Amino acid sequence: MSNPYRPTTPQSTSSDQLLAFMQFLRGKNIPVSPADTLDAIEAAELLGYMDRTLLKNGLAATLAKSSHELIAFESAFDDYFKIASNTSPADAIATDDQSAKPVNEGISALPEEMAAPHDVNDPLEGLRGNALFDALESRDESALSVAIETAAADVRVEEISLFTQRGQYVRKMLDALGEEALRAAAIEFEQSEPAAFEAVQALREQLRERVRDRVERAYLIHASAQTEDLLDESLSKLKLGNIDHSQMARLKRLIERMARKLAARHGRKRRRYRRGKLHVGETVRKSVATDGIPFHPRWRKIERKRPQIMAICDVSGSVAAYAKFLLMFIYALQDVLPRTRSFAFSAALGEVSDLFNTLPVEEAIEKVNLKYGGATDYGRALDDFSALALAEVNHATTLIILGDARNNQADPRLDLLSEMKARAKQLIWLNPESTRLWGTGDSEMLRVRRHCHVVKECNNLNQLARIIDQLLSDRR
Amino acid sequence: MPNSDYPALGDIGAIQTAFEAAGYICTTRIATVVKLAAALEKPVLIEGPPGVGKTELAKTCAEVVNRPLVRLQCYEGLDESKALYEWKYGKQLLYTQLLKEQLGDILDGAKGLTESMNRLHQFGDVFYSEAFLEPRPLLKAMESDTGSVLLIDEIDKADFEFESLLLEVLSDFQVSIPELGTINAQSKPLVFLTSNDTRDLSDALKRRCLHLHIPFPSVELEARIVASRVPDLSQSLTDQLVHFVHAIRSLDLKKAPAISETIDWAKSLILLHANELEGNLVLDTLNVLLKYEEDIKIAESQLPKLMATITA
Repeated sequence: MSNPYRPTTPQSTSSDQLLAFMQFLRGKNIPVSPADTLDAIEAAELLGYMDRTLLKNGLAATLAKSSHELIAFESAFDDYFKIASNTSPADAIATDDQSAKPVNEGISALPEEMAAPHDVNDPLEGLRGNALFDALESRDESALSVAIETAAADVRVEEISLFTQRGQYVRKMLDALGEEALRAAAIEFEQSEPAAFEAVQALREQLRERVRDRVERAYLIHASAQTEDLLDESLSKLKLGNIDHSQMARLKRLIERMARKLAARHGRKRRRYRRGKLHVGETVRKSVATDGIPFHPRWRKIERKRPQIMAICDVSGSVAAYAKFLLMFIYALQDVLPRTRSFAFSAALGEVSDLFNTLPVEEAIEKVNLKYGGATDYGRALDDFSALALAEVNHATTLIILGDARNNQADPRLDLLSEMKARAKQLIWLNPESTRLWGTGDSEMLRVRRHCHVVKECNNLNQLARIIDQLLSDRR
Repeated sequence: MPNSDYPALGDIGAIQTAFEAAGYICTTRIATVVKLAAALEKPVLIEGPPGVGKTELAKTCAEVVNRPLVRLQCYEGLDESKALYEWKYGKQLLYTQLLKEQLGDILDGAKGLTESMNRLHQFGDVFYSEAFLEPRPLLKAMESDTGSVLLIDEIDKADFEFESLLLEVLSDFQVSIPELGTINAQSKPLVFLTSNDTRDLSDALKRRCLHLHIPFPSVELEARIVASRVPDLSQSLTDQLVHFVHAIRSLDLKKAPAISETIDWAKSLILLHANELEGNLVLDTLNVLLKYEEDIKIAESQLPKLMATITA
C-alpha cells in the first residue's frame, strides 16, 4: 500500500505556515504587506523555528509597526500557535517533517495490550492493514494528525468562510481520510457482531471529533477574520440609532480606526501647504550680505488655521444616540481638531467641552445626557448659545448642529440661526432623519435649511466619516 | 548569513554579553532586533517612553561595533540642508571673486558672446563639485568607508517631508544630489531611529524599519541595570529603590520616572550615604525622581502605601 501521507520539504512547509500566519494577522487588523512578509520569512530563516520566544521577537520586529500593533501581534501569535499546535511553533511548522515516519511504524508496531483480543475470529481483523483504522486503534497521535492535516490540505479547508459550512467540510475531510471503509464495516457488523460494531463506532466518533476540531480551528483562523471585516462593514452602514449595547465595543474600535485614518491624512495635508510664494523684499534684504546674489531665498508663510469646530448637539431622547457618535468621532480627532468646543441641549443649552477634555468619552456622554436631557426647544437652545459663545464665532469657526429640527411647534428662532450663519465660516446641520421625513409633522428642517451652508442626512458611520473628511479637507 | 560588516552582532548571546560589558543591559528582544538589523541591513525604529534607553542603545551599539556614531537630532523645520548636505556658499562666493581675474585670461581673444560662452562651458560645473559640498550627518554616515552607526534621534519631531527625504537613505543607503548624481554608502551603516510617539510616523517609513518597542523594564531587569550603572549601591538598597520606583509608576502621574531617573536617584542616594530607604529621605529626594510639582504632591500623599511596597 502506498503511503498517502506524503511528507513535504520542511522549507516550503514552514514558509507556508508563516504565510498562513500573515493571513491571520491581516484578519486581526495588522497590515502586513508582501514586503513585510519577505522580511519576516528572512528573519525567521535567520533565527530558526526552534525557539518560540526568539521567533516571536523576530517576527514582531518585522511585522508589528507600532506599540498597539505589537500588543495585537503578541496575542495573535500566541493564539495562532496555540491553535496550530499544543506544543511549540517549531512543531506546528514542521509537523509533516517530523511525524511522517511514525505512520508506517504505527502500523508495524502495534502496542502490547492490543494483541490480547487478537483471536482468529476477531471480526476486526479484516480492517487491520487499513492505515486509518490502525492509527485510530493504536491511538497513534502523530500518524492521525498527519493524516488529518493531509486531508485538510486536500479539501482546502482553509477556504471555509461561513460557520454553517462546518458540517460540509467535516464530511469532505472524512471522505478524504478514507473513512468509508470504517463506515462500510460498521454497517456490516451492525447486525452480526455487536461488540465489533461498538468498537468501530467508537473509533469513528473519535475521528469525527478530531476532524470537527480541525475544521473549527480552520474557521477560527481563516474565516473569523473575514467575518470581522464583514461585521465592521455592516456596522458602518447600520443606522447609529439601532446599534445596541453589545456592539458598542466594536463600534468604538471602528470609530477610533476611522478617526486615525482621517487624522493621518489631514494632519499631513496641512503641513504641505505651509510654504508660500517667494517673499521678494525679504530675499533682497538677505542678499545684501552676499553681494546682491540671492543665496537665501525667503518665503511667505501661509497661515493655515486649524478649523475650529463648535458642535451643538441635541441630546434629547430621539437624537441622543447620534449626538453620542458625533461627539465620539470629533473627540477621537483631537490631534487634528484640538480647539473643538461642544455644546449640548435639549431645552437649555450648556457647554460640555470640559467634560470631554477631562473624562473618557463614554462617561462624559452619560453625564451630558443626565444634565441636559429633556424636551427639545431649539429656540431656547440657540438663544443660550448666542449668549454663551456667539461672540467667539468667527470666520475660522465651523458650526455643526446635530438635531432632528423637531421643535414641538415652538419658535425655532431662525433669526439667531441666520446670524450664526453670517458670522461663521460654515454652518452645517446634520439630521439623523432620512431626507423624506424632513418637513413632515413638527419638523422645521425645510425652514432651517435656508439658514445653513450645508444640510446633510447623517445616520450611519460612513456618512459621518465622509462629512468630517470634507470638513477637514475644506481649505477656504 | 550574518553581515560581515559587523561581526560582533552575529549572535544573540554574544550581543547581550558585549552590551552588558559596555554597561547596557539588554533583553533578548532587544538583542534579537539588533542582530536582525545587522543581518538584514535594515534600520531599527525604536519607540517607547522617554528615558528607557532608546538613544543609549544606539550609542552602546556604536561602542560595541567600534564604529563612529553619527547623530542627527531632529526638530521641527529640519531640512535637507541640515541633514543631508549643503553647498558651501561662502567658499563658492569667495572663489568666484578670486577667480574673477582668471576670467580675463580664459576669455582672452574670444570673439563675440557665443564664443565666450562656449569657452566658459568647457569648464563644466567647477563650483558644484565635491570640493564645495558640506556633508551633513546623513551624508557623513554614507561616506564613512568603515561603516558607522547612524542615530536619527526623535524622528517624530521632524516634519513629515523630512520623513520622505529619509526614505531613500534608509532603504537603499544612498543620497541623491541633483548636481552630482547618486552617492552610495561605501559600507552600510547601522541605523537607529528613535521616536517618542508624539505623532504617527508614515507607513512608508515604518515599512522600511524593524520595529522595536522598549517599555519600562521589569523589576528584575531594572535592578540589574541600576546595579550595573551604580555598582556602589548595596544590593538591598537597590532592591528597595527599584520596588519603590515601580510602585510610583503605577500611580496616575503626569510623567512617570524613567530608568535614567532611577539611576540619578541611585546616584544621589550614594552621595547622601544612605543605607536604606526611609520616609524622610524619600521626601527630600523625591524631586530627583519626579519632575512635576503635582506628581510630587501625589506621591507624597501616597507615601505610606509606597513605603509599604518596599518592605513587603
